[in-house]
Amino acid sequence: MSSPTSIADRLPSSVRTEIEAHLRQAPQREAAISDVLRLLQQALGYIDDDTLLYAAQQTGMPPVKVEELCSFYPLVLRRPAGRHLLRICDSVSCHLAGADSLLRQAEEISGVTLGQVAKEGSYSILPHVCLGLCDRAPAALVDGHAVGGFDGDALVALLASWEHR
Amino acid sequence: MTAHFYLDGREIPFQPGQNVLEALLAMGRDRDVPYFCYHPALGSLGACRQCAVKLYPHDDKHPPRVMMACLLPASAGLQLVTAESDVRREHAAISELLMRNHPHDCPICDEGGQCHLQDMTVRAGHRLRHYENAKRTFRSQQLGPLIRQEMNRCITCYRCVRFYQDIAGGEDFGVFGSRDRVFFGRLHDGPLESPFAGNLAEVCPTGVFTDKVYHASYLRPWDLETAASICPHCNLGCNTAPGAARGRLRRVRQRHHPDINPYFLCDRGRYGFRHVVHRRRPWRHRLRSREIERDEALDRLTDLLRQGETGFLGSPRADVQDNLAWLALADAYGAPFAAFSDPWQEALAREILALPQAPSLRQLGEAERILILGQALEISPSLRLPVQAALRRGAQLTLASVLPTALDRYGELRRLRPDGYVDAAGDWCRALPSGKRGVILASADALGPAGVHVLRRLQEDLPPGTGVVVAHRAPNLGGAAFFATDGQSQRLREAIRVGRCRHLLALAADPLGEDGDAPFWRQRSSALRISLLDCLPTTTLEAAELQLPMAAVAEREGVFLNYEGRFQAFARVYRPAQYHPHWDPSRSTFPLPAGGMREELALWEPRDLAEALAQRGGRLESFHQRLEFYRHYLCPELPGPGDPGSFIPDALRARFRIGIVPVPHSGTGRWWLSAFHWYGDEAQARFAGELQSLAPVAGVRLAPGQTQAQAMLLTSRDGQTRRYPIVEVAGMAADVLALPPSDLSDLGYHPGERIDALEESAP
Ligand code: SF4
Ligand code: SF4
Ligand code: FES
Ligand code: FES
Repeated sequence: MSSPTSIADRLPSSVRTEIEAHLRQAPQREAAISDVLRLLQQALGYIDDDTLLYAAQQTGMPPVKVEELCSFYPLVLRRPAGRHLLRICDSVSCHLAGADSLLRQAEEISGVTLGQVAKEGSYSILPHVCLGLCDRAPAALVDGHAVGGFDGDALVALLASWEHR
Repeated sequence: MTAHFYLDGREIPFQPGQNVLEALLAMGRDRDVPYFCYHPALGSLGACRQCAVKLYPHDDKHPPRVMMACLLPASAGLQLVTAESDVRREHAAISELLMRNHPHDCPICDEGGQCHLQDMTVRAGHRLRHYENAKRTFRSQQLGPLIRQEMNRCITCYRCVRFYQDIAGGEDFGVFGSRDRVFFGRLHDGPLESPFAGNLAEVCPTGVFTDKVYHASYLRPWDLETAASICPHCNLGCNTAPGAARGRLRRVRQRHHPDINPYFLCDRGRYGFRHVVHRRRPWRHRLRSREIERDEALDRLTDLLRQGETGFLGSPRADVQDNLAWLALADAYGAPFAAFSDPWQEALAREILALPQAPSLRQLGEAERILILGQALEISPSLRLPVQAALRRGAQLTLASVLPTALDRYGELRRLRPDGYVDAAGDWCRALPSGKRGVILASADALGPAGVHVLRRLQEDLPPGTGVVVAHRAPNLGGAAFFATDGQSQRLREAIRVGRCRHLLALAADPLGEDGDAPFWRQRSSALRISLLDCLPTTTLEAAELQLPMAAVAEREGVFLNYEGRFQAFARVYRPAQYHPHWDPSRSTFPLPAGGMREELALWEPRDLAEALAQRGGRLESFHQRLEFYRHYLCPELPGPGDPGSFIPDALRARFRIGIVPVPHSGTGRWWLSAFHWYGDEAQARFAGELQSLAPVAGVRLAPGQTQAQAMLLTSRDGQTRRYPIVEVAGMAADVLALPPSDLSDLGYHPGERIDALEESAP
């Protein structure tokens, strides 16, 4: 079991320096929390409980406050994810445009429920709140890139290409 | 002339600054507009969307529109309507949405009978459910012994988290997730850490958070008897409404007092009442542990009193009139009386009473500069709420203490040894900018009589409006000192020392335990017979020759004098009864029609016992004379239960100044002694099981790295050795040992004194 101190050991020194810079520049240390979480997630893949405590310690926030943010923002991962990440919007417009069946189809292809790592670490699929692409529903984030008109065929093709790498 | 607006054609008066909903609730009109997220202490949020009203603008530019009453400032002439179909539809539709995931478990929900959700759903007119899909469900958390969680009942009004974080400053409870998976709870299962956690049961308008202690003996609230009571667990005197039924006390809720506790209670005040059912509570008269009849006990006592060797001991735990009755009875017998068994405590109480009237908690919330000396917020927990309110308004906080405190991150810290308090107070007072409202919150035992004395002198030079609040755990500290004359504790002890007193008739006191100086009493216990009237199974009760069962606060009536010098009366809520599962013809002639056999327990109200003793001894007349004389002289007018209370006149306060100004004398020794308080620790609350299950580990507290030892051996003033495991506290002042007040009393030391210790190393 690691501890907040060993998190610091696991971080590359460049990341540590960057985190410290954000903390210094912020008007209050708390204000740097989203940058701290982003950098930690980039470096470690996701925010586990120890990383969360480390972020709390660095910013001087109570751990509960950090978890409030992590659980509110769907871009923050609190569980391990696959090498690729597909986020499918399931808010109103996309829901009307068939997001529901898209998500069910995704579960079928991947063989795991949403949020689990599929195909020996190849990818993970997550539902997501409105991406602001309502006019091009159904919409998705493919490894961070916004895609509109993301239909069943696009899904099949994408997951097939991810599985082979 | 007050301003008005109109709701459905009715004139509604309002105060400037109020919103529409607030004005309606202030009038007691809590059914005109349904609402959830608004709470008078938490303000408006606009989260639930339930409080819709339709506004008809006075111009023709804007069409009528539906708005949230809790976000709409009240203004004169405003025309509002709820009786139109679009508003009704809105009310019913929001209610239906809020009920979409709500389980239909009302029959087993403890909120039933006091459920805001039920009331509002009916008021809002939601009748028919349209949604047919599965309900969202959560796994609820185990939150410790005080509060139950059933998260599926949540309607996302955010009241709980706003209370817990914003009002009470709690850091272990929050709101997680988004959309329809919003969860209110802790990071992991585990007891809630805030001393105000119990309030969740009152602020939550649904059955998500309910009172777990009440649950164990639950009856619907409409089956409970209640009466105006006062919390007996510290000297703030928060107003309470205990609820009892069928001879059993089942819960304590807060009762509104605008200047003390408008909405909340601390957990000591809410759960401390469980001492009344402690399994070792004395219910019957006992002579050397043999049960005897009341008459036999009275005869014995009368004989003892006639012998003329009795001393009377009152207590700051008993109320004003009970102490007075003890004093009057002592007078009638020409016997010595003291309200305190420890002269240090007596001097402390008198010094506190001699201070000018302290600011109310409402005024404390308006302070601009606050100094906290010692663990005042652990001693009288509800002080914290106005301090947090003042901090939200931008007050500057200074914390001077031996131990770290919960507010350390909000203020300027001054870590000090017990001898540093007076200097810290002096520095703060000198630095207080003129025109700023400043308040000092001091822990009584951190300062001691000498420190409080200095504080009074300091305050004389400060601008008016600067107040001093001294926190103490006894509910009637001032009331006990009220009838005390200077030095009477010392005189009583002298009478015992020289053998003039061989019998002590004690009232709710624990001289052999935690009252301040156990060694003195231990050394005399073989020559001194003790008769004790109490409701707690204390050390002294164990040692007493004669035990007399006393009614607890909710079981009797009386008057406490709180920290401000405010008399507040409490009424009897219930008479305790015992259940016998089977009918026993020797106890009563006929079983109760239902529920086995209930036997009301005969417990003494101290006044009645004093009167009975005066009568048997043929001194009734002089007893009544003394009683009347003191009452008229000192408190001619006492308030009744439910009254806001009345103050002792400032002119009277000078009377309590003590003759010999105490000088701090710390003695010698490697270590300084300090008290360690936690919010659940108080003489009565100590016997409340659920609360005590949260107590921090026992031991002696000291700064890390001061010793390699595992435990400390300390020697009491009467030569007894006690062993305390070491608990290191990061951030604590060096060279200090902190012990719970009961341990200090057991050793016969007061905070601020010095002591040597033997260190016990690992084997
Ligand atoms: S738990 Fe209760 S107070 Fe908290 S948001 Fe839900 S309904 Fe409101
Ligand atoms: S602060 Fe004191 S008086 Fe108020 S509820 Fe708590 S223990 Fe009782
Ligand atoms: S609802 Fe899917 S992008 Fe807005
Ligand atoms: S009470 Fe007005 S929106 Fe909730």
